[in-house]
Amino acid sequence: MLNISKNISGDKAVFELEGRLDTNTAPQLEAELKAALGGVSELVLSLEKLDYISSAGLRILLSTQKIMTKQGAMKVTKVNAAVMEIFEVTGFADILTIE
Amino acid sequence: MAFVIISAIVLALAVFGLVVGLFGFASFDSVYQNEYAVSTYHMADTATLLVNGDHLDDYLAGDMAEEYERTRTNLDVYCNKISVSLLYVIQVDRGDYRSFVSIFNSVDNSVDNTSYTPWELGYERETTNDEYRKKYKALYEQESLYETVYRVKTKDGQNPHITTLVPVKNSSGNVVAILCMQRPIREIRDARNSYLYSIIISTAVLALLASVFAAGFVRYRLIAPIRKVSDEASRFARENTKGKALGNISGFAELSRLASSIDTMEADMTCYIENLTRVTAEKERIGTELNLATRIQAAMLPNIFPAFPERTEFDIYANMHPAKEVGGDFYDFFLVDRDHLCMVMADVSGKGVPAALFMMASRIIIANNAKMGKSPAQILADTNASICQNNREEMFVTVWLGILEISTGKLTAANAGHEYPAISKRGGGFELFKDKHGFVIGGLDGVKYSNYELELEHGDKVFVYTDGVAEAMNRLGELFGTDRMLGALNEAPEASPEQILNNVLRATNEFAKDTEQFDDLTMLCVEYKG
Repeated sequence: MLNISKNISGDKAVFELEGRLDTNTAPQLEAELKAALGGVSELVLSLEKLDYISSAGLRILLSTQKIMTKQGAMKVTKVNAAVMEIFEVTGFADILTIE
Repeated sequence: MAFVIISAIVLALAVFGLVVGLFGFASFDSVYQNEYAVSTYHMADTATLLVNGDHLDDYLAGDMAEEYERTRTNLDVYCNKISVSLLYVIQVDRGDYRSFVSIFNSVDNSVDNTSYTPWELGYERETTNDEYRKKYKALYEQESLYETVYRVKTKDGQNPHITTLVPVKNSSGNVVAILCMQRPIREIRDARNSYLYSIIISTAVLALLASVFAAGFVRYRLIAPIRKVSDEASRFARENTKGKALGNISGFAELSRLASSIDTMEADMTCYIENLTRVTAEKERIGTELNLATRIQAAMLPNIFPAFPERTEFDIYANMHPAKEVGGDFYDFFLVDRDHLCMVMADVSGKGVPAALFMMASRIIIANNAKMGKSPAQILADTNASICQNNREEMFVTVWLGILEISTGKLTAANAGHEYPAISKRGGGFELFKDKHGFVIGGLDGVKYSNYELELEHGDKVFVYTDGVAEAMNRLGELFGTDRMLGALNEAPEASPEQILNNVLRATNEFAKDTEQFDDLTMLCVEYKG
């Protein structure tokens, strides 16, 4: 299960993710991001309540990162220990802007 | 159904006939009675012309006997002519109307089978009946033209009759006596009976005709079309094939609509069944193909163990359990040359057919690069470059790749975003080896990887796996985790690679027993025996 709460004001978008981002829920986030990203130059993904991220979820982060590099910047915030470990193991810690 | 409808119609008609008959009978009865009373009044009124009101007291006194006799004879003749049973003239005591004196009294017993004896002139009699007394009074006081007494239901065996009372006046217009005429009302009864019979017969005939008509109507206009529809519906239920359209089977809009609904339903259902059959066939075909794909995938991975029976310097074992039909995990191992064993453990992002396709491509690219004798870091970098060229879907794969120099036990490895390997040294327990990580393959172009080296000694083991092992989940949503995995590895760290893999597999299955396997489970273990 994944709950996505988004807050878009002007060219800044904040997505808060809660639950699991895996094969089953990744398409949902992909669709929401695709719909929201036009005209956004600053994207913040808040992962405080994200319990788990699978490779399918990482793929969404990677493709979103690529899109945002072209039109602005993407930040990942409030990463908890479990997800941080996955980021480190997969090398995502090096390519994402984590605050 | 026809029987019920027809019975209902007949019953309704019978009730209708009864109600109409009763109302008709009641109004007929009252009109007829009135008419009878009026005509009797006219007959009685005519009779008064025969009586000279000025001479009544003389008759009673015994005078004018000749005129009295003439009048009496006239009244007798009149009584006989007009068929009334009694015709009499009485003088009532005007004090309290309780008694009267008879003046004339004509009797015709033949009219109504009666047995009256004529009263004599001057015969006196008490009036006990209050109804008569009121009517006498009304006539004497000229409150009404005539009065009628009905005896429709008689108690004393007499036939039904009416008695009409009219006043007899003298020349100065005063009421001096009352003329009474008793007339049988057999005609009323007869007319009433014939009316009743005609109502009953006509109702019965009408009901019969109506039921015959209703039967025909119900049968041919209602039942027949409905039966057609129901026959067609049950034929369709039985055969599931589109039949001849029912079309416009009835003049009734409801029935036509029912028929056209059936026609539409049949068309839709047949179409639906065809679609379903096609989709099911398609699904079966896909299932067969997936099954085949799984077998192809399994056959691509080295799966005959012992893999190198002639090599005593190492023992290797690996297996893969995909979560769906085809998986995105893979392992691989092969000898690059006589002294170098290359081992790969990889996990493609996502699952199912897309992951499997990407996995096949990755595996071939990695193996081709490895067989050129490159270092692990170089193999990964070159593989990344190849994959990034044509990766529109932005899939990626995490890879651990190690090359073991069999003669020396030196293991050179590189890690592209993959799980930490677990290593058991000198017969001790397995521990996670936090190696240096690079980014996943296929994610970004131009990523560099770095090699690291380990010296393996006799009995040392390396265990690599995919996240399906550490992330196996139980019913409560808990993850198996690397701690439980290490626990399973260390049940018997000295066991053979095959036994160690079985231990881990058994532990994850026990942990996640009630839940569907969520991710591929892929593991590889190598023991250096040099």
